[in-house]
Amino acid sequence: MKDAKHANYTQLDHKVDIVGEQGVVILTSLQAYEQFAWCREYFSQQPQEGYFIWVKRSQPQPITTSIVMCSQYVTQNSLNLVVVDQDVQAEMINTCAAQRGNLYGKHIGHTKIVVKENARFKVKHVHSWGKDDTVNSNLELTLKRGSEVSYSQRCNHAPLKLTLENINYLDEYASLNYAATVLSEQGQIEMYDDTYLNGRKSNGISRVKMIARENTRLHAQSRMFANAAGTGHLDCMGLLLGDNSDIVAIPELINKNRDASLTHEASVGKISEEVLNYLRSRGLTEDEAIDLVVTGFLGEEENVVIDGVPVSSKTYM
Amino acid sequence: MLKIENLSTEVNGKKILKKVNLKIARGETHVLLGANASGKSTLLYTLMGFPEYTVVKGRIVYDSKDITRLSIEERAKLGMAAVYQNPPTINVRLSKLLDKIARKKVNLKGIESLLDREINLGYSGGERKLSEIIQVTSLDPEFIILDELDAGLDVENLERLSSVVKQEFADKSILLITHRGKALRFFRPDCAHVMLNGEIICSSTNWKRIWKTIEEDGYERCKTCQLHPAGS
Repeated sequence: MKDAKHANYTQLDHKVDIVGEQGVVILTSLQAYEQFAWCREYFSQQPQEGYFIWVKRSQPQPITTSIVMCSQYVTQNSLNLVVVDQDVQAEMINTCAAQRGNLYGKHIGHTKIVVKENARFKVKHVHSWGKDDTVNSNLELTLKRGSEVSYSQRCNHAPLKLTLENINYLDEYASLNYAATVLSEQGQIEMYDDTYLNGRKSNGISRVKMIARENTRLHAQSRMFANAAGTGHLDCMGLLLGDNSDIVAIPELINKNRDASLTHEASVGKISEEVLNYLRSRGLTEDEAIDLVVTGFLGEEENVVIDGVPVSSKTYM
Repeated sequence: MLKIENLSTEVNGKKILKKVNLKIARGETHVLLGANASGKSTLLYTLMGFPEYTVVKGRIVYDSKDITRLSIEERAKLGMAAVYQNPPTINVRLSKLLDKIARKKVNLKGIESLLDREINLGYSGGERKLSEIIQVTSLDPEFIILDELDAGLDVENLERLSSVVKQEFADKSILLITHRGKALRFFRPDCAHVMLNGEIICSSTNWKRIWKTIEEDGYERCKTCQLHPAGS
């Protein structure tokens, strides 16, 4: 499997490198805008940068994208479009990152993902920023009838300002499992996600996990709208570790269909003394105990498989 | 191995332990009996160094070293460990915790399914005890406190876990804390003590006699029974 290839889009500052693969069309957004008239409806304006990925056949390897800030004061403004054709199964690994700290960069990413009928699409989106960067990541997911999407984004190195916004539309029998995890220190983080259950038997799950270390403002608002007889669940959890920090978690359920079922859970708190003392009695220092609980809270970092080889997310980054 | 001298402890300003004296030699198993709320668990947490249990008088000597003012982790590193009755639920997989704390390789055959689960989340009573014993075994301790090992276990599970404990900690010092006494016949302790109202009022190597008295007349009888007064 080591000889297996995968489709890839890499953007360093504004310089783009693309590796295509059978069954996947990868272009810059501008190229796609000019080449395919049908895709223009998905762009609010003519894109200047960003990627266009059209998955026409199931992919044995994950498609990878990397948009990286490398130079000081760089501003990236990506308009991205991903279309997964009917009955296709694919996986994508997105990396959005700053190559190093002190870049004072600005990254704006607007991504639309359209997953067509009965397609299966899994996305892992890893963010890693410098402390002085500003990031606005905007995602729109459209799930056509019977499609399944798992989208997980994780930011263990949050920038000075981070806004994550996403909006999800689910047709009949569509299923979405969305998860966002953010760990921030001295950051100002805003997260908004709206899920619309527009078709009967649609199922949406949104899980948001936040950890605030010192001097951090974390605000998360998750909303689930039931316009049809679907099921939805919101989960909003915050762990407050540092001083002079706050977390606001607001789950909202808006039900417009009496046959729909919506639930939510929310909790914000610190690590209990009972847990810390227990772990210390197993020989861990207080800091080690906190790290262990934080790791558990964030969830295991799954390996990603690149060219048939499992690679830890950290190594991949 | 462990010497408790004239120990008095307060919790939130309330005096719980009063002038407790106890000596456990290396390789010995002692049992501490007592009714609910008699102070047994307070002794456990005081010995382990939990901060809210304040020693106001006396001292704890472990392996010839005064550990009264040592932190929890310092005591753990010296070889003290506890199997808790009600350990907290932690959103960390058991295997992950073992990776961090283990000083000794533990035979994990037959408990693989437990390893992948978050600590104590949805565990049965038996799984909870097993998880505790696995953790403590991995620490390779010299002195182990078993808090109410027999609570919430049926006889078969108690026998199985007791035999695991006896095998793993064959040459270690053990303090078994219980109010039911179901575990006594599996451990056959070298010495039994009875605690009432924060005081050890009775100590004897004749644990069978002590337990028979308690079984027949309850802990109330210990208040008036003068067969084996502590310190005699």
